[in-house]
Amino acid sequence: MKNIRAMAGGIAAAAIMSMAGFGYAAAQPGDFSTLPVDPNLITDSLAYNAAPAVYNPNGQAGIETVYTHRDGSRTITTTVLVLPDAQAATAALDGARAGLVANGTSQPAAVGSGGTMLTGMSPDGSKSVTVLSFAEGNTATTIEFAGAPNDPAPSDLVLELGRKQDTAIRDWQAS
Amino acid sequence: MRKFGMALAIVATMSGSVAAAQTAYAAQSSHDTNVYTQPAVPVAPKVDMLDCRGTTGDMGCGPGWFWRDGWRGWACYPC
Repeated sequence: MKNIRAMAGGIAAAAIMSMAGFGYAAAQPGDFSTLPVDPNLITDSLAYNAAPAVYNPNGQAGIETVYTHRDGSRTITTTVLVLPDAQAATAALDGARAGLVANGTSQPAAVGSGGTMLTGMSPDGSKSVTVLSFAEGNTATTIEFAGAPNDPAPSDLVLELGRKQDTAIRDWQAS
Repeated sequence: MRKFGMALAIVATMSGSVAAAQTAYAAQSSHDTNVYTQPAVPVAPKVDMLDCRGTTGDMGCGPGWFWRDGWRGWACYPC
């Protein structure tokens, strides 16, 4: 009898600890701070400096972070918007890309759902711009790479960062 | 008769010169002592691509690569 009580107590304690643990680890609704992936994960670890994150850019739930290369010549802007459902997220991608690239060429990218890589110049022609966009569940993500006109972002870097971002979003959604 | 003899002598002299010249030409062409060499064909400078500086690079990037601070930070990038 004593053993049964001890076992029951242990199970109850484990259940409480598990629930408390999960509760602590779960992302709070509207907590987007862990969403953006720092590009330094795939660089020499110190190449980019992050500006303070902008929460709910343009009044839309989500987060936007700008990473600037230490020499100031390159920026990576990650925007993750959280929408009511997957359909709305997919629909938001076109709007998110609009106006970022002039005379660009578009190609499919194996990232998330509906991944697209758009490459060209900025509307004023002063920068090379590559925009990777994709949906993942109810999120719409754009990652904009801007650099000197003769220094476009390498596509392998664009895809690598995009896939890491996609993984981070899925982890966030599962938490 | 005398005129005929003169004419014959002239003809003989001329034909002899021509024959001698042919013999001399033949001898010259068959026993040429000049040494002819094949002209050298210009060859473009041979370049072994190592890296942008012609070495293996500051960080040993290897041929065709260059060490610089680019999109991935300090790393080897194609020239």
